[in-house]
Amino acid sequence: MSEVSYQRAHAREHRRRMRAPWLLMAPALVIVLIFFGIPTLYMLRMSFNLHFDQRLYVPGFTFEHYGNLFANPLFTTAIWTTVQLSLMSSLATVIIGYGFAILVWLKPSKWRLLFIGLALCPLLISEIAIIFGWWMFFPKNGLLSYALLSTGLITDKISLMYTEFAAFVGLIYVTLPFCFFILLSIFDGIDKRMIEASADLGAPPLTTFREVLLPLTWTGILVAFSQSFIWTMGTYATPSALGPDTLWTMGYLIQEQMLGKHNWPMASAFSMVLVAGVAAVMVMTRSLQSKRTSFHV
Amino acid sequence: MNEVAGGTALELQSVRRTFGTIVAVDNVSLAVSRGEFVTLLGPSGSGKTSTLRLIGGFEKLNAGAIRINGERIDHLPPYQRDTATIFQSGALFPHKTVAENVAYGLRMRKVAKPEMGERIRQSLDIVRLKGFEDRYPGQLSGGQKQRVALARSLAVRPAILLFDEPLSSLDLSLRLQLRAEIKRLHDELKFSAIYVTHDQGEAMAMSSRVAVMNRGRIEQIGGPETIFHKPANEFVYNFIGESCCLAVQFGAERTIDKTGESIDLALQDRPPDGDWRLYIRPSRLKLAEEAIGLPNRLKAKVHFIEFLGDVYRYHLKAGALEIFADRGGSIGHKIGDIIDVGWNNADMKAFR
Repeated sequence: MSEVSYQRAHAREHRRRMRAPWLLMAPALVIVLIFFGIPTLYMLRMSFNLHFDQRLYVPGFTFEHYGNLFANPLFTTAIWTTVQLSLMSSLATVIIGYGFAILVWLKPSKWRLLFIGLALCPLLISEIAIIFGWWMFFPKNGLLSYALLSTGLITDKISLMYTEFAAFVGLIYVTLPFCFFILLSIFDGIDKRMIEASADLGAPPLTTFREVLLPLTWTGILVAFSQSFIWTMGTYATPSALGPDTLWTMGYLIQEQMLGKHNWPMASAFSMVLVAGVAAVMVMTRSLQSKRTSFHV
Repeated sequence: MNEVAGGTALELQSVRRTFGTIVAVDNVSLAVSRGEFVTLLGPSGSGKTSTLRLIGGFEKLNAGAIRINGERIDHLPPYQRDTATIFQSGALFPHKTVAENVAYGLRMRKVAKPEMGERIRQSLDIVRLKGFEDRYPGQLSGGQKQRVALARSLAVRPAILLFDEPLSSLDLSLRLQLRAEIKRLHDELKFSAIYVTHDQGEAMAMSSRVAVMNRGRIEQIGGPETIFHKPANEFVYNFIGESCCLAVQFGAERTIDKTGESIDLALQDRPPDGDWRLYIRPSRLKLAEEAIGLPNRLKAKVHFIEFLGDVYRYHLKAGALEIFADRGGSIGHKIGDIIDVGWNNADMKAFR
């Protein structure tokens, strides 16, 4: 083969290699663009439309809705409340999920199926059905009240229904299974002998956790946290059904603008802020990830 | 490493460990002198790995005592025991570099910085991995990973090194190479070690003493030559080295196999009447003309012949008895021929 044709073949090979990942991603990319990209662009356009009473929207171009959003304390408080609630419940979810995942990972495999079955249960029930469940659990004549009463921890029946605590618990319950499975899959990729090796070399359990387990599961923690956070930021049913009337989350206000006030541009503007906020959190968690993405060789 | 000052590095005293109804380690007693390399050899499920894990502290014992340098340690967690294990999988920390892996045990033991650097350098030098300090385990081959594991354990200079089948996941040539290297390191550094394996070649080649384990018990313990030439019982004879087993019944008039067929077997010192199992090393068997004049002889039919490279392996049958013998060249007999098989008294063991 001559030098020139060799170089050409080499260049062709290089181009082919550059193309391969895109070709492999193509089907997923097409689905994402059609079903998520286009509606998001449509929503972005909608957020700039005009709004008059009794009309869903009037085509036009204005920044008015974004202006209102950040000027009106109702909306800014809602953003803050939602971020706070999501942060706290996601943190709690990751901590609880991490504990469960370690337990299942360390326990003999005969318990494994039981735990996985338990974690799957909430996924088999719709969010609405779960909310009905909480309605039987939290009120004054609910299960929790009776349980606490019978153990003697309280003397009068209590109701935790329509409290921020109920909303908090409700959110954790929905996001926990996802978090658990993400973390378990990460743990399953770790050689358990490594824990023994660490102890063998003189590390007490907490040091082993800090030096070995935490770095190896860090990526999983971030992924689990991101997914809980994203879900809780956008959700609407659970916090509004379990929380107090004053718990106005972004999801609730978007719904109100859309269906109650028939103000589509305002709802869209609020949604765009939500999307941007979630995207920002994604970027942040990614930057916290280690540059070496995988240690499992 | 540890100065060879004599004395006992490790002592197991009537150690017992059960899992439910299974007795994994049954009343095992064993003492390892300083600088001694003792191998626990046995089939899978013989309790050798459980014994090692009891010493390392990864399992709790049900009864007995374990002492390191005379001090009782069986109540201590692994991180307070002066042992270092080389695991079968290596169990290197994948997120730490080679140097960081080796440093780990030293950091936990709060070794001073300058000495730590020196020890890391020295340990990697010993296992011939100089220049690999900044690599990650994922960038190393299987053999290199096990060398790092070895360096990591050597660096902390434990009272006793525990090897948990460290070579069994490597391919044959690498296994032989690392086996020789561990032997060289032991000759050089004189560390005390317990080495668990199911590979008798490894056990024979490396050990000061071999403990043959079966069903949670030590069947025999002794130097490799003693184990091979003077096996204490049938299990040890059978497990160490290749052997043929002839299950026969000696009667007043004739010798029969288990199906009742007569066997043409002539022994110089015939054991008393009854059921016996005779074991013979295949490498010591003589065939056809070479068997003439030997005190013990059996008439057998050539069943099939395997070519194994160095030798031909003749599989022979006498009634239901099967026997095989290795020969350097062809003996000029074909399949179906009936030939003599002969051996000396010293090469046979009889058990009933």
